[in-house]
Amino acid sequence: MTSTRNRLYLLLALVCTAGYIWLFINLPNAESSPDVCMIKHVTGIPCPSCGSTRSITSLLHGDVTGSLFWNPMGILILLIMLIAPVWITGDVLLKKQTLFSFYQQFEKTLQQRRVAIPAIALVLLNWIWNIHKGL
Amino acid sequence: MDAQKVDMFIMTNGKFFESHQIGQIRERLLVLDESKWPMIQSLPLKDPSTSLIVSILGGSMGIDRFIIGDTGIGVGKLLTCGGFGIWTIIDWFMIQGATREKNMQKLQQFLY
Repeated sequence: MTSTRNRLYLLLALVCTAGYIWLFINLPNAESSPDVCMIKHVTGIPCPSCGSTRSITSLLHGDVTGSLFWNPMGILILLIMLIAPVWITGDVLLKKQTLFSFYQQFEKTLQQRRVAIPAIALVLLNWIWNIHKGL
Repeated sequence: MDAQKVDMFIMTNGKFFESHQIGQIRERLLVLDESKWPMIQSLPLKDPSTSLIVSILGGSMGIDRFIIGDTGIGVGKLLTCGGFGIWTIIDWFMIQGATREKNMQKLQQFLY
């Protein structure tokens, strides 16, 4: 059990670090459009999470409406990036696994049909909006 | 359990598990109670080849991870555009093993 916990924490920490480095590179120019998305390169259509970098950078520049316009998912990502490092450090220092149990609970909740279907619908709606905006 | 039944199970479902687990599964099934047979037979096991196809087509949205039941990692891939595209490529090679691992977890509830 501890190995899965440690694997999850390592993965989260890696993703957060990558996210912060990525944000640091892109912070100076909020309106630019960094092209790393595979879907966009292959099909020419933006993916559901395209625009989240621009969303976070405009939020950090104080532009909340712009952030919501680019991609509401960006705010969610920023929240995870702010909370996860603190939570991981706390868990590792106190030798607990509160984040791991939260993660398992979250997985279980999301697998229920009455949660999953609205979530999928929201992501699809956001995706349609993304394509309409032409990110 | 009946050796014939166990061998039939191994023959039809062997491809859903890692090859090094097959021996262990066979041993455990042989000593298992007969009453668990219907449940084991109707386990919703996922095909690794299917998840590979899904991974290639919808990997950057995390659909492959959602399908095998790794919802948390799926959300992570969805939010980060497939982990900046890197994770997507890594998962093309990891997803078959991950599927077999998940199948083993499902079966394990009944084996022990």
